[in-house]
Amino acid sequence: MGLFFAGIASAQDWTSLKETFRNIRSVKAEFVQKRYLKILTKPLLSEGKLFFYIPDSLRWEYLNPLRSLMLQKGSTVQIYNFSEGVWRPEIGQAVEARRMVLAEISQWFQGRFDESKAFKHLYSPGPPARVTMVAGEGINRFIQRIEIVLSAKPGVIDRVEIEEPGGSRTTIEFRNVEINSSFPSEVFEKP
Amino acid sequence: MIRSKRLDACLLGFLVLSIGCVSPPKKTLVPGSPDDLPGCYAIFPREPWESVHRIEATVRGGGSSSLLGVTKGEPSERRLQSLLLTPEGFILFDAELSEGGIAVRKTVAPFDSPAFARGLMEDVSLLFLPPQVKPIAWGKETDGTIICIWEDRDDFRTEISGSMESGWRILRQNKKGKVIKEIVLNGPFVNGLASRVELRAFKPTPYRLRMILVQPLP
Repeated sequence: MGLFFAGIASAQDWTSLKETFRNIRSVKAEFVQKRYLKILTKPLLSEGKLFFYIPDSLRWEYLNPLRSLMLQKGSTVQIYNFSEGVWRPEIGQAVEARRMVLAEISQWFQGRFDESKAFKHLYSPGPPARVTMVAGEGINRFIQRIEIVLSAKPGVIDRVEIEEPGGSRTTIEFRNVEINSSFPSEVFEKP
Repeated sequence: MIRSKRLDACLLGFLVLSIGCVSPPKKTLVPGSPDDLPGCYAIFPREPWESVHRIEATVRGGGSSSLLGVTKGEPSERRLQSLLLTPEGFILFDAELSEGGIAVRKTVAPFDSPAFARGLMEDVSLLFLPPQVKPIAWGKETDGTIICIWEDRDDFRTEISGSMESGWRILRQNKKGKVIKEIVLNGPFVNGLASRVELRAFKPTPYRLRMILVQPLP
């Protein structure tokens, strides 16, 4: 479903965007997530860290206010919660939705925005450059669109903004991003 | 046979949740003065409020789940809205309780049964809304502990005891005098909300919720 929208940016822009992600092997970063809900006057703040290694290994870990962990290695996804001093496997709420989000994030870190099965994409060269992911039929019941704001530093994502039907939205800001740094492969296998 | 199965379920609940199917001794209260009556409502917020809790749910069999609970209250209208979210922010449950009943806006399995919605909103109501009738008895002990007892039309009883210093306990008893829910609230109290709450449900399905206040707002 990944469609390129002519008129927003040239094919050359798109090719050079893809080029900036070509050399990325791994990403390590911290993130701050703000969840804006109509019920709350202030956003719900969460903090965490992530590790990514091409093509589909991802560790997405929340440190606050709830310690929680999603591990993806290939097609295997494990979810854990930290409770009473130990990591416990999650019973399994919204596992499919979480699996889909992990798969999408893995593609973004590689600049493979055009390979999404659930979203169409638009590219605006900026600055700041941004990729808008527009939800297709079905998924638009949960997510309307996703804005991925790119850093001036090649291959780095600064911020992701997720809009839902009904006015709720989420922003995720990435900090201390390290590209192609080394870390043990176990980070994708166990808590 | 049916009675035996009920007993087994009760014993299992006992093993999993430490206590259960207990009939506490009926308290004989020294009648409190009208001045003590406001103490019966000390744990219930009076102004509009909202909160975020970290929730750890434990069900029979030992399975556990960690979630975020977002609640908004309008005490004067007896209106409560509650959301359950995954750590990533996926909304699993969204419902509102008002005088008109429970309106469920969104549910995701395994939180999509009417019984779950009813049970969760009952818990939230027990925790944040005072009973609508006047207590049938209340009193104050020498150490400052306040005890208040309400009785519903259907003979269910709610007993609240404690103090802001020592924490509070809410007991919900069925018409047979069995404790069906117990809530322990511990301070410090932030904008009238307890920092730590532990809810144990015994009947009909045992479970335990531990709630830690992470974001209170007036």
